[in-house]
Amino acid sequence: MGNIFVKKPKITDVDRAILSLKTQRRKLARHQQQLDAVIEAEKQAARDLIREKRKDRALLALKKKKTQEELLKQVDAWLINVEQQLADIELASKQKAVFESLKAGNNAIKAIQSEINLEDVRKLMDDTEEAKAYQDEINAILGERLSAEDEEDVLAEFENLESEITLQSLPAVPASSVLSTEAARKTPKVQPEAGLQVEDKEDEVLELPEVPTTTPVPATSDDISTKATRIKVLEEPLPA
Amino acid sequence: MQKLGDFKVPHFFNYPPYYTLQPVKETREKQVQLWKELILDYCRNQKIFVIGLEEDYPLFSNPVIERSLSHEARKVFLNALVAEGHAEWMDKSHKKCLILWLRIQDWAAYILNFVKENGFEDSVMTVEDIRSGIETRGTELAGIDRGVLMRALRLLEQKGKAAIFKGTSADDEGVKFSA
Repeated sequence: MGNIFVKKPKITDVDRAILSLKTQRRKLARHQQQLDAVIEAEKQAARDLIREKRKDRALLALKKKKTQEELLKQVDAWLINVEQQLADIELASKQKAVFESLKAGNNAIKAIQSEINLEDVRKLMDDTEEAKAYQDEINAILGERLSAEDEEDVLAEFENLESEITLQSLPAVPASSVLSTEAARKTPKVQPEAGLQVEDKEDEVLELPEVPTTTPVPATSDDISTKATRIKVLEEPLPA
Repeated sequence: MQKLGDFKVPHFFNYPPYYTLQPVKETREKQVQLWKELILDYCRNQKIFVIGLEEDYPLFSNPVIERSLSHEARKVFLNALVAEGHAEWMDKSHKKCLILWLRIQDWAAYILNFVKENGFEDSVMTVEDIRSGIETRGTELAGIDRGVLMRALRLLEQKGKAAIFKGTSADDEGVKFSA
């Protein structure tokens, strides 16, 4: 069964060290228990001796107890040392494991990156740009086939639409006759609720009223509602 | 219900007939079965690994009904356990019987599971630690017989899941588990 050697986990020196420490820990713990027992026994013996009024023997027992207690303190300290070292070893080995993984990760990144040459990437991007520029040229040439008149028409329609939209965002523009007094009250700012004079004429003239010279006074509420409806009517899109 | 220590005893323990080997085949089989289970449960509960035929166990006798299992009856039951693989005779004269309420491979599996659950893979433990350390307190492993433990560990070693080794001469034997 030659496989066993490969499958079994390997025993390193670190493992042996840990084994030593753990064995030592156990032995110390056992020693602690023994000392505890002796201390208790001596205490009991001292009590008995005092009861029997054998003071010198009692004192002896107490002295023995004291030495055992000192020894116990010593063992406690050793035990703590051993535990500390075990903890340190474990920490160190975990650190090593983390370091190893990070290193492996780093190597992996390097390997992947080495497959992509920076020069190749640059060349690739340049080629792509060239191809795109070429394509645009072709499009332009093909696009030229569209008649110039159509181009003009499209532009004209575009401008119309643009003006329509501006029209809608402004209040209804009064037609050419801007001379009514109510119109004079209109402020330069857009305020549809304020008294606006609206003509039913369908004009696309974008003449704005003159800047009022007097302070504008809001019209009565009746005025506003009728005007509001008339405004709405005018806001239908105007034929081009 | 009577109790043997902390152990709750099943009903049949108080029925005298169960203490005599039954001649009728079917009854005998039932009797053997019941006693087998009782022996295993009791040993698991009390952490008894070895039963000596010469010794007395509260298990084998019931003073209340003044009955106890005869030598022969005990042998029969123990033999049945051996046949099942849940026990082994430790000597030729069948005086001592090793009780395995978990068979060796079951123990091995149990140990492996324990290692996995507690994150002891890739770590070293002393054999004594497994037997009586803090980590195993409360599990079946606490107080396990050393011989049984070593056999289970050796089985794991064969499977490549563990490695038994010794450090310096003063050290206990150690086990390293692999993931």
